[in-house]
Amino acid sequence: MAETPATNQLFELWKRQFEEGTQAWTRLLGQQAPQAPAIDPAAFWRPVLNQGLETWARLFAQTPASPEMLTQWKQFLDQWIDAWSRALGQTMGTEQFARLINQQLDAMLTAQAPLKKAFDQQVEQALQTFNLPSRAQLTGVARQIVELEDRIERMEDTLGAVLRRLEAREPR
Amino acid sequence: MGQERFSDVVERFTNGYASAAAAAQASPETIGQWQVELDRNLKRLQNLHAMLTSPVEPRTGQTPREEIYKKNKSRLYRYASPRTHRTPLLFVPNLGISRPYIFDLLPHGSFVEYMTGQGFDFYLLDWGVFGPEDNDLTVEHCVTRILPRMVREVLESSGAPELTVLGYCMGAPVAASFLGSHPEVPVRNFINMAGPIDFTKVGLFGLWLAKDRFNVDRFVDTLGVIPADLVKAGFKLIKPTMDLSTSLNLWWNLWNDKYLEGFQALNKWANDYVAFPGEFFRQWVRDYYQENRLYRGELVMGGRRVDLKTITCPVFVVGAKEDYIAPPECVRALVDAVGSRDREYVELPGGHISLIAGRGAAVHCWPKVAGWLASRS
Repeated sequence: MAETPATNQLFELWKRQFEEGTQAWTRLLGQQAPQAPAIDPAAFWRPVLNQGLETWARLFAQTPASPEMLTQWKQFLDQWIDAWSRALGQTMGTEQFARLINQQLDAMLTAQAPLKKAFDQQVEQALQTFNLPSRAQLTGVARQIVELEDRIERMEDTLGAVLRRLEAREPR
Repeated sequence: MGQERFSDVVERFTNGYASAAAAAQASPETIGQWQVELDRNLKRLQNLHAMLTSPVEPRTGQTPREEIYKKNKSRLYRYASPRTHRTPLLFVPNLGISRPYIFDLLPHGSFVEYMTGQGFDFYLLDWGVFGPEDNDLTVEHCVTRILPRMVREVLESSGAPELTVLGYCMGAPVAASFLGSHPEVPVRNFINMAGPIDFTKVGLFGLWLAKDRFNVDRFVDTLGVIPADLVKAGFKLIKPTMDLSTSLNLWWNLWNDKYLEGFQALNKWANDYVAFPGEFFRQWVRDYYQENRLYRGELVMGGRRVDLKTITCPVFVVGAKEDYIAPPECVRALVDAVGSRDREYVELPGGHISLIAGRGAAVHCWPKVAGWLASRS
Protein backbone atom coordinates (compact mmCIF):
# COMPACT_ATOMS: atom_id res chain seq x y z
CA MET A 1 0.00 0.00 0.00
CA ALA A 2 1.35 3.38 -0.94
CA GLU A 3 2.07 5.87 1.83
CA THR A 4 -0.21 8.88 1.98
CA PRO A 5 2.01 11.55 3.53
CA ALA A 6 -0.22 14.38 2.33
CA THR A 7 -3.23 13.04 4.18
CA ASN A 8 -1.19 12.38 7.29
CA GLN A 9 0.27 15.87 7.13
CA LEU A 10 -3.20 17.33 6.81
CA PHE A 11 -4.47 15.39 9.81
CA GLU A 12 -1.41 16.34 11.84
CA LEU A 13 -1.86 19.99 10.93
CA TRP A 14 -5.56 19.91 11.81
CA LYS A 15 -4.88 18.06 15.08
CA ARG A 16 -2.20 20.55 16.10
CA GLN A 17 -4.42 23.48 15.25
CA PHE A 18 -7.24 21.95 17.28
CA GLU A 19 -5.06 21.31 20.30
CA GLU A 20 -3.54 24.79 20.19
CA GLY A 21 -7.02 26.28 19.84
CA THR A 22 -8.37 24.46 22.89
CA GLN A 23 -5.28 25.40 24.89
CA ALA A 24 -5.73 29.04 23.91
CA TRP A 25 -9.34 28.98 25.06
CA THR A 26 -8.35 27.27 28.27
CA ARG A 27 -5.76 29.97 28.94
CA LEU A 28 -8.28 32.69 28.09
CA LEU A 29 -10.79 31.35 30.58
CA GLY A 30 -8.16 31.30 33.25
CA GLN A 31 -7.90 27.55 33.58
CA GLN A 32 -4.23 27.86 34.41
CA ALA A 33 -4.93 29.55 37.74
CA PRO A 34 -2.79 28.24 40.58
CA GLN A 35 -4.29 25.35 42.57
CA ALA A 36 -6.94 24.75 39.90
CA PRO A 37 -6.71 21.19 38.56
CA ALA A 38 -5.42 21.23 35.01
CA ILE A 39 -8.18 20.47 32.53
CA ASP A 40 -7.39 18.79 29.25
CA PRO A 41 -10.33 19.43 26.91
CA ALA A 42 -8.49 17.49 24.20
CA ALA A 43 -8.98 14.37 26.32
CA PHE A 44 -12.65 14.46 25.39
CA TRP A 45 -12.38 14.57 21.66
CA ARG A 46 -9.27 12.40 21.17
CA PRO A 47 -10.92 9.06 22.05
CA VAL A 48 -13.94 10.05 20.01
CA LEU A 49 -11.81 10.80 16.97
CA ASN A 50 -9.87 7.59 17.45
CA GLN A 51 -13.01 5.52 17.69
CA GLY A 52 -14.65 7.29 14.75
CA LEU A 53 -11.67 6.86 12.49
CA GLU A 54 -11.30 3.21 13.51
CA THR A 55 -14.90 2.57 12.59
CA TRP A 56 -14.59 4.32 9.27
CA ALA A 57 -11.38 2.50 8.42
CA ARG A 58 -13.09 -0.79 9.24
CA LEU A 59 -16.10 0.12 7.15
CA PHE A 60 -14.06 1.17 4.14
CA ALA A 61 -12.07 -2.02 4.44
CA GLN A 62 -15.30 -4.07 4.37
CA THR A 63 -16.54 -2.70 1.10
CA PRO A 64 -18.93 -2.48 -0.63
CA ALA A 65 -20.21 0.46 1.36
CA SER A 66 -23.64 -0.02 2.93
CA PRO A 67 -26.03 2.52 4.54
CA GLU A 68 -24.65 1.19 7.83
CA MET A 69 -21.84 3.70 7.45
CA LEU A 70 -24.35 6.53 7.71
CA THR A 71 -25.43 5.16 11.08
CA GLN A 72 -21.80 5.01 12.11
CA TRP A 73 -21.35 8.60 10.97
CA LYS A 74 -24.38 9.66 13.03
CA GLN A 75 -22.97 7.85 16.06
CA PHE A 76 -19.65 9.58 15.54
CA LEU A 77 -21.37 12.99 15.42
CA ASP A 78 -23.38 12.16 18.55
CA GLN A 79 -20.21 11.24 20.39
CA TRP A 80 -18.47 14.34 19.09
CA ILE A 81 -21.30 16.58 20.33
CA ASP A 82 -21.35 14.72 23.63
CA ALA A 83 -17.59 15.19 24.02
CA TRP A 84 -17.95 18.93 23.38
CA SER A 85 -20.87 19.07 25.78
CA ARG A 86 -18.79 17.48 28.54
CA ALA A 87 -15.81 19.71 27.79
CA LEU A 88 -17.96 22.85 27.82
CA GLY A 89 -19.77 21.62 30.93
CA GLN A 90 -16.46 21.27 32.72
CA THR A 91 -15.36 24.74 31.66
CA MET A 92 -18.71 26.28 32.63
CA GLY A 93 -18.50 24.60 36.00
CA THR A 94 -15.44 26.63 37.03
CA GLU A 95 -15.28 29.64 39.31
CA GLN A 96 -13.63 31.61 36.50
CA PHE A 97 -16.51 31.05 34.11
CA ALA A 98 -19.11 31.89 36.76
CA ARG A 99 -17.25 35.15 37.46
CA LEU A 100 -16.97 35.87 33.73
CA ILE A 101 -20.69 35.53 32.99
CA ASN A 102 -21.61 37.56 36.04
CA GLN A 103 -19.23 40.29 34.90
CA GLN A 104 -20.96 40.24 31.50
CA LEU A 105 -24.35 40.42 33.19
CA ASP A 106 -23.19 43.32 35.34
CA ALA A 107 -21.93 45.17 32.28
CA MET A 108 -25.27 44.57 30.58
CA LEU A 109 -27.19 45.92 33.58
CA THR A 110 -24.91 48.96 33.85
CA ALA A 111 -25.51 49.77 30.19
CA GLN A 112 -29.20 48.93 30.27
CA ALA A 113 -30.34 50.80 33.38
CA PRO A 114 -29.85 54.40 32.11
CA LEU A 115 -31.00 53.45 28.60
CA LYS A 116 -34.18 51.87 29.92
CA LYS A 117 -34.88 54.85 32.13
CA ALA A 118 -34.39 57.33 29.29
CA PHE A 119 -36.48 55.26 26.89
CA ASP A 120 -39.33 54.89 29.40
CA GLN A 121 -39.33 58.66 30.00
CA GLN A 122 -39.45 59.39 26.27
CA VAL A 123 -42.29 56.95 25.69
CA GLU A 124 -44.22 58.30 28.66
CA GLN A 125 -43.85 61.87 27.39
CA ALA A 126 -44.94 60.88 23.88
CA LEU A 127 -48.02 59.06 25.19
CA GLN A 128 -48.89 62.03 27.41
CA THR A 129 -48.74 64.32 24.39
CA PHE A 130 -51.33 62.17 22.61
CA ASN A 131 -53.40 61.88 25.81
CA LEU A 132 -52.87 58.11 25.92
CA PRO A 133 -52.31 56.00 29.05
CA SER A 134 -48.76 54.86 29.64
CA ARG A 135 -47.68 51.29 30.36
CA ALA A 136 -47.04 52.21 33.98
CA GLN A 137 -50.57 53.57 34.34
CA LEU A 138 -52.11 50.44 32.80
CA THR A 139 -49.96 48.27 35.02
CA GLY A 140 -51.16 50.29 38.00
CA VAL A 141 -54.80 49.65 37.07
CA ALA A 142 -54.11 45.93 36.59
CA ARG A 143 -52.41 45.84 40.00
CA GLN A 144 -55.45 47.43 41.60
CA ILE A 145 -57.67 44.76 40.03
CA VAL A 146 -55.37 42.02 41.37
CA GLU A 147 -55.52 43.60 44.84
CA LEU A 148 -59.31 43.88 44.67
CA GLU A 149 -59.56 40.22 43.67
CA ASP A 150 -57.36 39.34 46.62
CA ARG A 151 -59.51 41.36 49.00
CA ILE A 152 -62.74 39.77 47.74
CA GLU A 153 -61.18 36.38 48.20
CA ARG A 154 -60.17 37.16 51.76
CA MET A 155 -63.72 38.33 52.48
CA GLU A 156 -65.06 35.11 50.96
CA ASP A 157 -62.74 33.11 53.19
CA THR A 158 -63.80 35.01 56.30
CA LEU A 159 -67.48 34.67 55.39
CA GLY A 160 -67.03 30.97 54.71
CA ALA A 161 -65.32 30.49 58.09
CA VAL A 162 -68.11 32.37 59.89
CA LEU A 163 -70.80 30.34 58.12
CA ARG A 164 -69.06 27.08 58.95
CA ARG A 165 -68.83 28.11 62.60
CA LEU A 166 -72.52 29.04 62.65
CA GLU A 167 -73.47 25.74 61.01
CA ALA A 168 -71.45 23.86 63.56
CA ARG A 169 -73.14 25.75 66.41
CA GLU A 170 -76.72 25.35 65.14
CA PRO A 171 -77.11 21.99 63.44
CA ARG A 172 -80.33 21.73 61.40
CA MET B 1 -2.30 6.79 24.49
CA GLY B 2 -2.64 10.06 22.51
CA GLN B 3 -0.26 10.93 19.72
CA GLU B 4 1.08 7.60 18.52
CA ARG B 5 -2.21 5.83 18.41
CA PHE B 6 -3.83 8.69 16.61
CA SER B 7 -1.33 8.50 13.71
CA ASP B 8 -1.78 4.70 13.58
CA VAL B 9 -5.47 5.14 13.21
CA VAL B 10 -5.05 7.80 10.55
CA GLU B 11 -2.79 5.48 8.63
CA ARG B 12 -5.17 2.56 8.91
CA PHE B 13 -7.97 4.82 7.84
CA THR B 14 -6.16 6.06 4.73
CA ASN B 15 -5.03 2.52 3.86
CA GLY B 16 -8.54 1.18 4.28
CA TYR B 17 -9.94 3.99 2.18
CA ALA B 18 -7.48 3.30 -0.63
CA SER B 19 -8.23 -0.41 -0.58
CA ALA B 20 -11.91 0.38 -1.13
CA ALA B 21 -11.09 0.52 -4.82
CA ALA B 22 -10.80 -3.23 -4.75
CA ALA B 23 -14.36 -3.52 -3.56
CA ALA B 24 -16.45 -6.57 -4.17
CA GLN B 25 -19.74 -6.15 -5.97
CA ALA B 26 -22.66 -4.99 -3.85
CA SER B 27 -25.10 -7.73 -2.86
CA PRO B 28 -28.85 -7.36 -3.62
CA GLU B 29 -29.38 -6.88 0.11
CA THR B 30 -27.02 -3.87 0.18
CA ILE B 31 -28.69 -2.41 -2.89
CA GLY B 32 -32.04 -2.79 -1.14
CA GLN B 33 -30.71 -0.99 1.91
CA TRP B 34 -29.49 1.88 -0.24
CA GLN B 35 -32.91 2.12 -1.85
CA VAL B 36 -34.53 2.41 1.57
CA GLU B 37 -32.00 5.10 2.47
CA LEU B 38 -32.74 6.97 -0.76
CA ASP B 39 -36.48 6.86 -0.03
CA ARG B 40 -35.81 8.17 3.45
CA ASN B 41 -33.79 11.05 2.06
CA LEU B 42 -36.59 11.97 -0.33
CA LYS B 43 -39.04 11.87 2.58
CA ARG B 44 -36.66 14.01 4.65
CA LEU B 45 -36.60 16.65 1.94
CA GLN B 46 -40.39 16.53 1.57
CA ASN B 47 -40.93 16.95 5.31
CA LEU B 48 -38.33 19.72 5.53
CA HIS B 49 -40.06 21.56 2.69
CA ALA B 50 -43.43 21.15 4.42
CA MET B 51 -41.99 22.35 7.74
CA LEU B 52 -40.54 25.47 6.17
CA THR B 53 -43.33 26.42 3.79
CA SER B 54 -46.48 25.35 5.67
CA PRO B 55 -45.69 24.82 9.34
CA VAL B 56 -48.44 23.05 11.29
CA GLU B 57 -49.32 24.25 14.77
CA PRO B 58 -49.02 21.15 16.99
CA ARG B 59 -52.19 20.37 18.94
CA THR B 60 -50.93 20.02 22.48
CA GLY B 61 -52.95 19.57 25.67
CA GLN B 62 -55.82 17.54 24.21
CA THR B 63 -56.91 15.61 27.30
CA PRO B 64 -60.40 16.91 28.26
CA ARG B 65 -60.38 19.15 31.33
CA GLU B 66 -62.50 21.66 33.15
CA GLU B 67 -61.47 24.83 34.93
CA ILE B 68 -62.29 24.45 38.61
CA TYR B 69 -60.93 27.69 39.97
CA LYS B 70 -59.00 30.77 38.94
CA LYS B 71 -57.06 33.28 40.95
CA ASN B 72 -55.48 36.16 39.07
CA LYS B 73 -53.41 34.39 36.38
CA SER B 74 -53.42 30.97 38.08
CA ARG B 75 -55.87 28.27 37.07
CA LEU B 76 -56.83 24.94 38.57
CA TYR B 77 -57.86 22.31 36.03
CA ARG B 78 -59.49 18.98 36.69
CA TYR B 79 -58.90 16.05 34.35
CA ALA B 80 -61.64 13.52 34.89
CA SER B 81 -60.80 9.86 35.35
CA PRO B 82 -62.62 6.56 36.00
CA ARG B 83 -61.48 7.30 39.57
CA THR B 84 -60.52 3.89 40.78
CA HIS B 85 -58.46 5.59 43.48
CA ARG B 86 -60.17 7.73 46.06
CA THR B 87 -57.44 10.29 46.74
CA PRO B 88 -57.19 13.10 44.19
CA LEU B 89 -53.80 14.28 42.96
CA LEU B 90 -52.75 17.92 42.84
CA PHE B 91 -49.91 18.50 40.41
CA VAL B 92 -47.76 21.55 41.22
CA PRO B 93 -45.38 22.41 38.36
CA ASN B 94 -42.77 25.15 38.08
CA LEU B 95 -43.77 28.81 38.10
CA GLY B 96 -42.38 30.85 35.21
CA ILE B 97 -39.76 29.34 32.85
CA SER B 98 -42.15 27.19 30.77
CA ARG B 99 -45.80 26.30 30.23
CA PRO B 100 -47.35 23.19 31.79
CA TYR B 101 -48.71 21.66 28.55
CA ILE B 102 -45.53 19.55 28.50
CA PHE B 103 -47.36 17.25 30.93
CA ASP B 104 -50.14 16.75 28.41
CA LEU B 105 -48.16 17.07 25.22
CA LEU B 106 -49.85 14.70 22.76
CA PRO B 107 -52.40 11.89 22.92
CA HIS B 108 -50.65 8.64 23.91
CA GLY B 109 -47.67 10.66 25.06
CA SER B 110 -49.08 12.51 28.05
CA PHE B 111 -48.40 12.14 31.76
CA VAL B 112 -51.84 13.54 32.56
CA GLU B 113 -53.55 11.10 30.20
CA TYR B 114 -51.59 8.20 31.69
CA MET B 115 -52.42 9.08 35.29
CA THR B 116 -56.12 9.60 34.58
CA GLY B 117 -56.08 6.31 32.68
CA GLN B 118 -54.74 4.69 35.85
CA GLY B 119 -57.73 5.99 37.75
CA PHE B 120 -56.29 9.06 39.51
CA ASP B 121 -58.43 12.17 39.72
CA PHE B 122 -55.85 14.65 38.37
CA TYR B 123 -55.77 18.36 39.19
CA LEU B 124 -53.24 20.59 37.47
CA LEU B 125 -52.22 23.94 38.89
CA ASP B 126 -51.29 26.25 36.02
CA TRP B 127 -49.52 29.22 37.60
CA GLY B 128 -50.09 31.24 34.42
CA VAL B 129 -48.11 33.76 32.42
CA PHE B 130 -47.27 36.77 34.52
CA GLY B 131 -47.01 40.40 33.44
CA PRO B 132 -45.54 43.55 35.03
CA GLU B 133 -48.70 43.93 37.16
CA ASP B 134 -47.72 40.70 38.98
CA ASN B 135 -44.25 41.90 39.79
CA ASP B 136 -44.95 41.94 43.53
CA LEU B 137 -45.85 38.25 43.60
CA THR B 138 -43.45 36.36 45.86
CA VAL B 139 -42.79 32.71 46.68
CA GLU B 140 -44.35 33.45 50.05
CA HIS B 141 -47.56 34.63 48.37
CA CYS B 142 -47.70 31.40 46.36
CA VAL B 143 -47.15 29.31 49.49
CA THR B 144 -49.45 31.15 51.86
CA ARG B 145 -52.19 32.46 49.54
CA ILE B 146 -52.40 30.48 46.31
CA LEU B 147 -51.58 26.90 47.34
CA PRO B 148 -53.91 26.74 50.40
CA ARG B 149 -56.74 27.96 48.19
CA MET B 150 -55.98 25.43 45.46
CA VAL B 151 -55.84 22.58 48.00
CA ARG B 152 -59.22 23.61 49.39
CA GLU B 153 -60.70 23.71 45.88
CA VAL B 154 -59.34 20.23 45.09
CA LEU B 155 -60.84 18.78 48.28
CA GLU B 156 -64.18 20.51 47.66
CA SER B 157 -64.34 19.51 44.02
CA SER B 158 -63.39 15.87 44.62
CA GLY B 159 -65.26 15.43 47.89
CA ALA B 160 -62.24 13.54 49.22
CA PRO B 161 -60.95 14.07 52.77
CA GLU B 162 -57.29 13.95 51.70
CA LEU B 163 -55.16 14.63 48.64
CA THR B 164 -51.81 13.73 47.13
CA VAL B 165 -49.46 16.59 46.25
CA LEU B 166 -47.03 16.02 43.38
CA GLY B 167 -44.43 18.72 42.83
CA TYR B 168 -42.31 18.81 39.70
CA CYS B 169 -39.11 20.87 39.30
CA MET B 170 -39.48 24.18 41.13
CA GLY B 171 -43.02 23.09 42.06
CA ALA B 172 -41.55 20.52 44.45
CA PRO B 173 -39.64 22.91 46.77
CA VAL B 174 -42.57 25.34 46.62
CA ALA B 175 -44.98 22.52 47.54
CA ALA B 176 -42.55 21.31 50.23
CA SER B 177 -42.45 24.87 51.66
CA PHE B 178 -46.24 24.82 51.75
CA LEU B 179 -46.53 21.39 53.39
CA GLY B 180 -43.69 22.16 55.81
CA SER B 181 -45.49 25.30 57.03
CA HIS B 182 -49.07 23.97 56.93
CA PRO B 183 -49.04 20.69 58.87
CA GLU B 184 -52.85 20.89 59.19
CA VAL B 185 -53.31 20.25 55.44
CA PRO B 186 -54.77 16.74 54.95
CA VAL B 187 -52.08 15.48 52.62
CA ARG B 188 -51.99 11.72 52.12
CA ASN B 189 -48.86 11.49 49.96
CA PHE B 190 -46.16 13.83 48.71
CA ILE B 191 -44.20 13.16 45.55
CA ASN B 192 -41.16 15.14 44.47
CA MET B 193 -40.16 14.72 40.84
CA ALA B 194 -36.87 16.40 39.90
CA GLY B 195 -37.37 19.14 42.47
CA PRO B 196 -34.24 20.57 44.14
CA ILE B 197 -34.29 20.56 47.93
CA ASP B 198 -30.65 20.90 49.02
CA PHE B 199 -29.48 23.86 46.97
CA THR B 200 -25.82 23.41 47.84
CA LYS B 201 -25.82 20.49 45.40
CA VAL B 202 -27.75 22.13 42.60
CA GLY B 203 -25.02 22.21 39.95
CA LEU B 204 -24.28 24.97 37.46
CA PHE B 205 -27.17 27.27 38.36
CA GLY B 206 -26.09 27.11 41.98
CA LEU B 207 -22.56 28.09 40.99
CA TRP B 208 -23.63 30.93 38.73
CA LEU B 209 -26.19 32.33 41.17
CA ALA B 210 -23.91 32.18 44.25
CA LYS B 211 -24.25 35.15 46.60
CA ASP B 212 -20.69 36.43 46.23
CA ARG B 213 -21.03 36.65 42.44
CA PHE B 214 -24.65 37.25 41.54
CA ASN B 215 -26.33 40.40 42.88
CA VAL B 216 -29.99 39.46 42.69
CA ASP B 217 -31.18 42.79 44.11
CA ARG B 218 -29.44 44.79 41.43
CA PHE B 219 -30.75 42.37 38.80
CA VAL B 220 -34.40 42.65 39.87
CA ASP B 221 -34.22 46.38 40.62
CA THR B 222 -32.95 47.08 37.10
CA LEU B 223 -35.08 44.68 35.10
CA GLY B 224 -38.29 44.44 37.10
CA VAL B 225 -39.82 41.42 35.42
CA ILE B 226 -37.20 38.82 34.44
CA PRO B 227 -37.86 38.64 30.68
CA ALA B 228 -38.61 35.31 29.01
CA ASP B 229 -35.68 35.82 26.63
CA LEU B 230 -33.26 36.07 29.53
CA VAL B 231 -34.70 32.95 31.14
CA LYS B 232 -34.29 31.21 27.79
CA ALA B 233 -30.68 32.38 27.49
CA GLY B 234 -29.90 30.97 30.94
CA PHE B 235 -31.32 27.56 30.09
CA LYS B 236 -29.62 27.49 26.67
CA LEU B 237 -26.31 28.35 28.30
CA ILE B 238 -26.51 25.46 30.73
CA LYS B 239 -26.48 23.02 27.79
CA PRO B 240 -24.95 24.86 24.81
CA THR B 241 -24.82 21.82 22.52
CA MET B 242 -28.51 21.06 22.95
CA ASP B 243 -29.67 22.89 19.80
CA LEU B 244 -26.99 21.22 17.73
CA SER B 245 -27.89 17.71 18.83
CA THR B 246 -31.61 18.50 18.47
CA SER B 247 -31.05 19.61 14.87
CA LEU B 248 -28.92 16.56 14.10
CA ASN B 249 -31.54 14.20 15.54
CA LEU B 250 -34.26 16.02 13.66
CA TRP B 251 -32.46 15.54 10.33
CA TRP B 252 -31.78 11.89 11.13
CA ASN B 253 -35.44 11.17 11.93
CA LEU B 254 -37.03 13.64 9.53
CA TRP B 255 -38.39 10.83 7.33
CA ASN B 256 -40.44 9.51 10.27
CA ASP B 257 -43.83 11.29 10.47
CA LYS B 258 -44.51 10.06 14.00
CA TYR B 259 -41.16 11.44 15.21
CA LEU B 260 -41.86 14.70 13.43
CA GLU B 261 -45.21 15.10 15.16
CA GLY B 262 -43.56 14.60 18.57
CA PHE B 263 -40.68 16.90 17.66
CA GLN B 264 -42.95 19.74 16.59
CA ALA B 265 -44.95 19.55 19.82
CA LEU B 266 -41.84 19.37 22.00
CA ASN B 267 -40.09 22.09 20.02
CA LYS B 268 -43.07 24.39 20.44
CA TRP B 269 -42.89 23.89 24.20
CA ALA B 270 -39.09 24.14 24.32
CA ASN B 271 -39.20 27.63 22.80
CA ASP B 272 -42.20 28.85 24.76
CA TYR B 273 -40.48 30.50 27.73
CA VAL B 274 -42.28 32.45 30.43
CA ALA B 275 -41.07 35.50 32.38
CA PHE B 276 -40.52 35.48 36.14
CA PRO B 277 -42.24 38.05 38.36
CA GLY B 278 -39.36 40.14 39.74
CA GLU B 279 -40.07 39.68 43.46
CA PHE B 280 -40.63 35.98 43.03
CA PHE B 281 -37.23 35.68 41.36
CA ARG B 282 -35.59 37.72 44.12
CA GLN B 283 -36.94 35.50 46.88
CA TRP B 284 -36.38 32.30 44.91
CA VAL B 285 -32.73 33.05 44.24
CA ARG B 286 -31.93 34.56 47.64
CA ASP B 287 -33.78 32.19 49.99
CA TYR B 288 -33.45 28.94 48.05
CA TYR B 289 -30.33 29.13 45.85
CA GLN B 290 -28.09 31.48 47.80
CA GLU B 291 -29.02 30.76 51.41
CA ASN B 292 -30.50 27.25 51.15
CA ARG B 293 -33.07 28.24 53.76
CA LEU B 294 -35.58 25.51 52.93
CA TYR B 295 -33.17 22.68 53.60
CA ARG B 296 -31.63 24.42 56.62
CA GLY B 297 -35.07 24.97 58.16
CA GLU B 298 -34.66 28.76 58.26
CA LEU B 299 -37.48 29.69 55.93
CA VAL B 300 -40.42 31.64 57.40
CA MET B 301 -43.58 32.04 55.34
CA GLY B 302 -46.64 33.95 56.52
CA GLY B 303 -45.19 34.00 60.03
CA ARG B 304 -44.80 30.21 60.09
CA ARG B 305 -41.47 28.42 60.05
CA VAL B 306 -41.07 25.91 57.22
CA ASP B 307 -40.02 22.67 58.84
CA LEU B 308 -39.64 19.73 56.49
CA LYS B 309 -39.65 17.39 59.50
CA THR B 310 -43.36 18.14 59.94
CA ILE B 311 -44.03 16.32 56.65
CA THR B 312 -44.93 12.88 57.95
CA CYS B 313 -47.03 11.46 55.11
CA PRO B 314 -45.56 8.86 52.72
CA VAL B 315 -42.96 10.54 50.50
CA PHE B 316 -41.75 9.42 47.08
CA VAL B 317 -38.76 11.16 45.50
CA VAL B 318 -37.80 10.70 41.86
CA GLY B 319 -34.47 11.92 40.51
CA ALA B 320 -33.18 11.75 36.93
CA LYS B 321 -29.69 10.39 36.32
CA GLU B 322 -28.75 12.97 33.66
CA ASP B 323 -30.54 15.94 35.16
CA TYR B 324 -28.24 18.98 34.96
CA ILE B 325 -30.91 21.44 36.18
CA ALA B 326 -31.75 19.55 39.39
CA PRO B 327 -29.00 16.94 39.84
CA PRO B 328 -30.15 13.73 41.62
CA GLU B 329 -28.22 14.48 44.83
CA CYS B 330 -30.06 17.77 45.46
CA VAL B 331 -33.43 16.10 44.77
CA ARG B 332 -32.65 13.08 46.94
CA ALA B 333 -32.09 15.33 49.97
CA LEU B 334 -35.84 15.41 50.65
CA VAL B 335 -35.84 11.77 51.74
CA ASP B 336 -33.59 12.54 54.70
CA ALA B 337 -35.16 15.91 55.46
CA VAL B 338 -38.78 14.82 56.02
CA GLY B 339 -40.20 13.20 59.13
CA SER B 340 -41.99 10.40 57.25
CA ARG B 341 -41.44 6.75 58.03
CA ASP B 342 -42.66 5.63 54.60
CA ARG B 343 -40.18 7.28 52.24
CA GLU B 344 -38.54 6.11 49.06
CA TYR B 345 -36.09 7.47 46.52
CA VAL B 346 -35.66 6.20 42.98
CA GLU B 347 -33.23 7.40 40.35
CA LEU B 348 -34.44 6.86 36.81
CA PRO B 349 -32.75 7.23 33.44
CA GLY B 350 -33.26 10.50 31.60
CA GLY B 351 -32.86 14.22 32.03
CA HIS B 352 -34.94 16.94 33.67
CA ILE B 353 -37.61 16.92 30.96
CA SER B 354 -37.32 13.38 29.63
CA LEU B 355 -38.02 12.16 33.17
CA ILE B 356 -41.64 13.19 32.80
CA ALA B 357 -42.25 13.67 29.06
CA GLY B 358 -41.51 11.46 26.09
CA ARG B 359 -41.16 7.78 25.30
CA GLY B 360 -38.60 7.09 28.04
CA ALA B 361 -40.88 8.60 30.68
CA ALA B 362 -43.77 6.37 29.60
CA VAL B 363 -41.55 3.32 30.09
CA HIS B 364 -39.49 4.23 33.16
CA CYS B 365 -41.20 6.93 35.15
CA TRP B 366 -44.99 7.02 34.83
CA PRO B 367 -45.61 3.37 35.78
CA LYS B 368 -43.27 3.77 38.74
CA VAL B 369 -45.11 6.83 40.07
CA ALA B 370 -48.56 5.33 39.41
CA GLY B 371 -47.50 2.04 41.01
CA TRP B 372 -46.19 3.68 44.17
CA LEU B 373 -49.26 5.89 44.44
CA ALA B 374 -51.87 3.20 43.69
CA SER B 375 -51.26 1.29 46.91
CA ARG B 376 -51.40 4.52 48.93
CA SER B 377 -54.45 6.20 47.40
